[in-house]
Amino acid sequence: MAEYKLDCFGEACPLPLVKTQKKMETMNVGDVIVVEIDHSCAMKNIPDWARAAGHNVDIEEINDGEWEVIIEKTK
Amino acid sequence: MKISNHPLYKTIIKDAWSYTTGAVLLALLNISMFAVGGSPWGITTAFSNWGSWVFRSLGGEPEKWAFYAANKGNFNALMETSFFTNTQSLQNIGIIFGALLATLFASQFKVKKIKSWRQVLAAVLGGLLMGYGARLSFGCNIGAFFSGIGSFSLHGWVFGIFLLLGAWIGSKLLVRFFMT
Repeated sequence: MAEYKLDCFGEACPLPLVKTQKKMETMNVGDVIVVEIDHSCAMKNIPDWARAAGHNVDIEEINDGEWEVIIEKTK
Repeated sequence: MKISNHPLYKTIIKDAWSYTTGAVLLALLNISMFAVGGSPWGITTAFSNWGSWVFRSLGGEPEKWAFYAANKGNFNALMETSFFTNTQSLQNIGIIFGALLATLFASQFKVKKIKSWRQVLAAVLGGLLMGYGARLSFGCNIGAFFSGIGSFSLHGWVFGIFLLLGAWIGSKLLVRFFMT
């Protein structure tokens, strides 16, 4: 049950989403990835994609204009 | 109750509106703008005027360029309006201040750090290409695409096809150069 961190601060769409997708391919079921973003579109497209793919998703606002998208790989 | 916990604050100020809400509002506002101002919403023609006004003040004669000489609307905007009386210039200022207000109200304002010089180069190159393209096609994704289709003009749809093509190529380049 490893936990990974992906620093996507300062990156615009669609980079945070593509980076998350690539990283998740290398992860095992049960692993968790924390994606750090400061681009509000990524707060929508990353969770939308992850939920559609069936993973568990949580969003946390950690500061003004900064979020963590936490995804648990379920399959 | 703290205002930041109020459900109305969350729905209207904090959370992003749905695409449908945005689309309906954009359509209504563009209709109002057309009704009041006489021309539909546009962004980038104002930028041409800003540059041309500066060039004129330095002694240049942009009014002789085909862009102005062959188009009465462009010519009048250049010669008879200024930054504070040009509708589109004021609308652009409104967009910037409106976006700032919205992000401040939602407590989401952040000065983002520059991650790499490659990012700066890509942004400058992209901006120049978009500006150049917007002049060739008499508008950007607002003036030529959104307002074009809204005016039942074929050129909006043609613009849309190439917009998709450009976005597809752009995303390939982005993945190629920024995924390392």
